[in-house]
Amino acid sequence: MPGSCEAAITLTGDLHARPAGSLAVMAARFASVVELAVGANTADAKSVLAVMGLGATRGQRITVRAAGADAAEAVAALIGILAEATPVGG
Amino acid sequence: MSDEAMVGIVLVSHSAALAEGTADVAGQIGGGSVVIAAAGGTDDGGIGTSIARVRRAVQRAAAGAGVVILPDLGSSVLTVRALLAEEDFADPIALADAPFVEGAVAATVAAAAGGDVKAVLQAAEEARHARKL
Repeated sequence: MPGSCEAAITLTGDLHARPAGSLAVMAARFASVVELAVGANTADAKSVLAVMGLGATRGQRITVRAAGADAAEAVAALIGILAEATPVGG
Repeated sequence: MSDEAMVGIVLVSHSAALAEGTADVAGQIGGGSVVIAAAGGTDDGGIGTSIARVRRAVQRAAAGAGVVILPDLGSSVLTVRALLAEEDFADPIALADAPFVEGAVAATVAAAAGGDVKAVLQAAEEARHARKL
């Protein structure tokens, strides 16, 4: 059933290149349109360069929004990656 | 996602260190599942490009799903074109007009996500529009 879903998480570390890559690879597995939002900035979650371009840092609130048949699964998967992103590493 | 082979990436640079370093960065960001073959420098290790090195890199990267080649500058493009003119590869091959580092990262992520040659090429070429600030 097509639908939309949204969830937010506070980053415990900066959104470095490696988690950005993990997010984009995961997002691309879903048919839904998936977007990340930090403040007024948004990025296509399937574009690693756009995700890195958000420049999201520790303590910021990041919102995952998805629209499509697998929106709920997509949001859950991306929130899971964001929850694991640590303050260290690239 | 499918069980089929992933698209491979070939990085052609005038410098072996630049090609290998870019491959390392893209591999880390892409999660390590994509073959990224570096073809940098001349046959004797100097600054320049080598058709033999590019040929070997394409052979390493080709796993059946195709290969996207990213050249750094100028004669890298000419070297790749010369190779493609003289040799037929079984895999579909695409030459990307893209910024080297950003294109390599975007292409690797697209390949890791199971994209075909067209999707990986498109991801690489869209990198020219990505803002880093």
